[in-house]
Amino acid sequence: MDNSTILETRDLNLWYGQKHALIDITVRIPKKTVTALIGPSGCGKSTLLRCCNRMNDLIDSSRITGNVLFNGEDIYDGHADAYAVREKIGMVFQKPNPFPKSIYENVAYGPRIHGVREKGALDRIVEESLKGAALWDEVKDRLHEPALALSGGQQQRLCIARSLAVEPEVILMDEPCSALDPIATGKIEDLIIRLARNYTVVIVTHNMQQAARVSEYTGFMYMGELIEFDETSRIFEDPGEELTENYITGRFG
Amino acid sequence: MKKEQAAPVPFRDFRRIRRPETGVGPSPAGATRHLVDWTVGKLLFCAALVAIAAVFFIIVFLLRDGYQIVLETGLWNFLTGAEWNPAGQHPAYGVLPLITGTLLVMALAMAIAVPLSIGSAVFIAEIAGSGTRTIIKPAIELLAGIPSVVYGFFGLILLTDWIRIAFDQPSGSSWLAGSILLAIMAIPTITSVAEDAISSVPREFREGSLALGATHWQTIKNIIVPGALSGISAAIILGMGRAIGETMAVLMVTGNAAVIPDPITNVFSPVRTLTGTLGIEMGEVAFGSTHYHALFGVAVVLLFITLVVNSTARIIVSRMQGTARSGPHRALTAAASRIPHAASAPFGRVVSPRTSQRCAFLLISLSVAIVLAALGVILAEIVVNGAGAISWEFLTGSPSDLGREGGIFPAIAGTLYLVGGALAIALPLGIATAVYLIEYTAETPLTRSIRAAVDLLNGTPSIVFGLFGFAFLVLFLGFGVSLIAGQITLGLMILPTIIRTTEEALRSIPGSFREGSYALGATKWQTISRVVLPPALPGILTGAILSIGRAAGETAPIMFTAAVFSSRFLPSSLTEPVMALPYHLFVLTTSIPGATPQSYGTAFVLLLLVLSIYLAAILVRRRYNHAKVM
Repeated sequence: MDNSTILETRDLNLWYGQKHALIDITVRIPKKTVTALIGPSGCGKSTLLRCCNRMNDLIDSSRITGNVLFNGEDIYDGHADAYAVREKIGMVFQKPNPFPKSIYENVAYGPRIHGVREKGALDRIVEESLKGAALWDEVKDRLHEPALALSGGQQQRLCIARSLAVEPEVILMDEPCSALDPIATGKIEDLIIRLARNYTVVIVTHNMQQAARVSEYTGFMYMGELIEFDETSRIFEDPGEELTENYITGRFG
Repeated sequence: MKKEQAAPVPFRDFRRIRRPETGVGPSPAGATRHLVDWTVGKLLFCAALVAIAAVFFIIVFLLRDGYQIVLETGLWNFLTGAEWNPAGQHPAYGVLPLITGTLLVMALAMAIAVPLSIGSAVFIAEIAGSGTRTIIKPAIELLAGIPSVVYGFFGLILLTDWIRIAFDQPSGSSWLAGSILLAIMAIPTITSVAEDAISSVPREFREGSLALGATHWQTIKNIIVPGALSGISAAIILGMGRAIGETMAVLMVTGNAAVIPDPITNVFSPVRTLTGTLGIEMGEVAFGSTHYHALFGVAVVLLFITLVVNSTARIIVSRMQGTARSGPHRALTAAASRIPHAASAPFGRVVSPRTSQRCAFLLISLSVAIVLAALGVILAEIVVNGAGAISWEFLTGSPSDLGREGGIFPAIAGTLYLVGGALAIALPLGIATAVYLIEYTAETPLTRSIRAAVDLLNGTPSIVFGLFGFAFLVLFLGFGVSLIAGQITLGLMILPTIIRTTEEALRSIPGSFREGSYALGATKWQTISRVVLPPALPGILTGAILSIGRAAGETAPIMFTAAVFSSRFLPSSLTEPVMALPYHLFVLTTSIPGATPQSYGTAFVLLLLVLSIYLAAILVRRRYNHAKVM
């Protein structure tokens, strides 16, 4: 593995009960880039994303074989700590899911559970995380109001701030804009591009224009398999597989 | 491309603030976290095990001793024997008259309660303005808060007299009296469940019908009620369960002769129910005798009826959830053809839609008026007469001359002791069990059977808990009639309720909250304690408070396990018996002539205590609902 790869899967297979949801996925996600996963509904892209921080552990019927390496360490190894994995590899969900707490408490939640107690440190983390998620200016005067009073787009940026606050190295985003209007979507996309300066972002999206706008690498998945993985420009301009081309050009999906 | 113009997000290196290590392997901090998580999981598991073991133990204990009577008399003789006479020269143990009594009292009660309740439900959901609704809804719910012994007291002092005089009968203690009381007690249950069902019929169906030119009443009759039919059926069945399980009120007014009415429609005949039999005979039964086993047989019959009622309601509700969408759709299409066009059908119609709407609304309003009148009469009777009996001495003194003089302080304190103890037992166990079931287990046949057992006990008549407490705690373990036996019995009685309401509260917390927390690297226990429990707390609290109200008003479970009629002092240890308000009222009313003012006073204090507990629950719920809007 070369230094520029942060996350890597090797022959990853996953079953939900009898359903073979991921088939022999081998992929290398480069560090500090935005990687998009595209493909029709049910192709396994969200499942692959959830494998990368062991969120699939929460689904009882799931079973996996193969490896997922984070900085060269197997996160499914017997010694690996699923909680520590998720601390390093954060996740933002399809529907904004702020906790029913104040804005401040939402962001402070992560650092608190990982042992930060000092008020000054928490204040600093909250401020910087909110700035990092481009939300600070909009909420700095009402940090102690309920997070659920924010608009959908603001809630989603709060969820991004919340995941930044535990200082992850990778942020997984599962269709983060699908519940948002175009303006809120634009703000999140800008943010994703800026985040890639310091973080690795993997984003699942239904929206091919979005993949083209924000990502440097794109993987195309179909029926549980990774059909093609390459630089985004190649995927969109000169795909190597006919299946990819058919999908990109809207012939199915 | 856009990428080049965007300013980078400053990278914040919090590692200065926090621990230095990277990587996902084992670490000391990780080990501590896992240890805490593991320990809490095991503790919850143990608590759940205790609670679940208790639930199954009660069921097995009842079945085991109930089976004895089958061995002694034969199943067929027991179930169909027409004579119940355990004290006679030739004791007879046939439960047929008791089952008949139970079913008759229940059936007549339903005949009274169902139309009134459905009328009230339609009124609240469809006709009342929001101002009227906010008064009438809690008023009808208030009926559910009145303890059954207070109903019994009211029945004995007013209703039976009225029946005796109005129908010129030798005695008013009758099937009719029992059914009227049970109807009043079942009305709030049926009304609130039916109202929920009616309100949840989607608005589009309503609008669809109105847009076809239907009147409001045609819409209610053809669209809304059919759409809510399965919910209304479930409401009726739950009301039946409530009526079958009731002990004290029935026992006090039905005359308790174990006979089948002759003719079978003679509503003035005395009857005796299954629950009443347990309430009357439990105290005098010899441990291990045939009579003792026969009483367990009665309890098993009650348990079986509860099971049937529960399962029927559950099947209806689950079918309702399946067809909630398609049902009203079908009704709407069917109704479109049934709604006659005002202009096109001038012939062959006797009553215009407008007139029939007026008549229907009049009848519906009348049913609400009857229900409110019943509430008004009961409250007025007890408040007016009870307030007069209240004095400082009555509240702080001890009883003398068999309760005709002195006060009821030991009973007030005793009730608080009993409820406090019950809560101390049931609350931690119940919450831990619910958390374990919801957060730690997947849906398997095992958890389903646990839930079924908990549900069974949740609907089980309180007198059956009384029987269990008496047989197991008082006699078998040798606790004697004692505070602790009463606390455990009451605790076991409210345990299923606490488990179920906590489960519901936890289930209402969206899974996305949990995912959000896990995705930040939180452990299971961190997630539960910081993200799941806080928003679930109001729901859990409401359930707990309602349980307190129920425990404070119950007589049947403490009658033979903890309560004594007269005690000058407070108990000094857990092994002494206590006075309790409901039991005190029961004995004053049924056994002590010339204590009417004291009865009123006790009923008033008990009512006040229980209703203020319910009021607290309503306030918590209201605050919670406000907070949810935010």
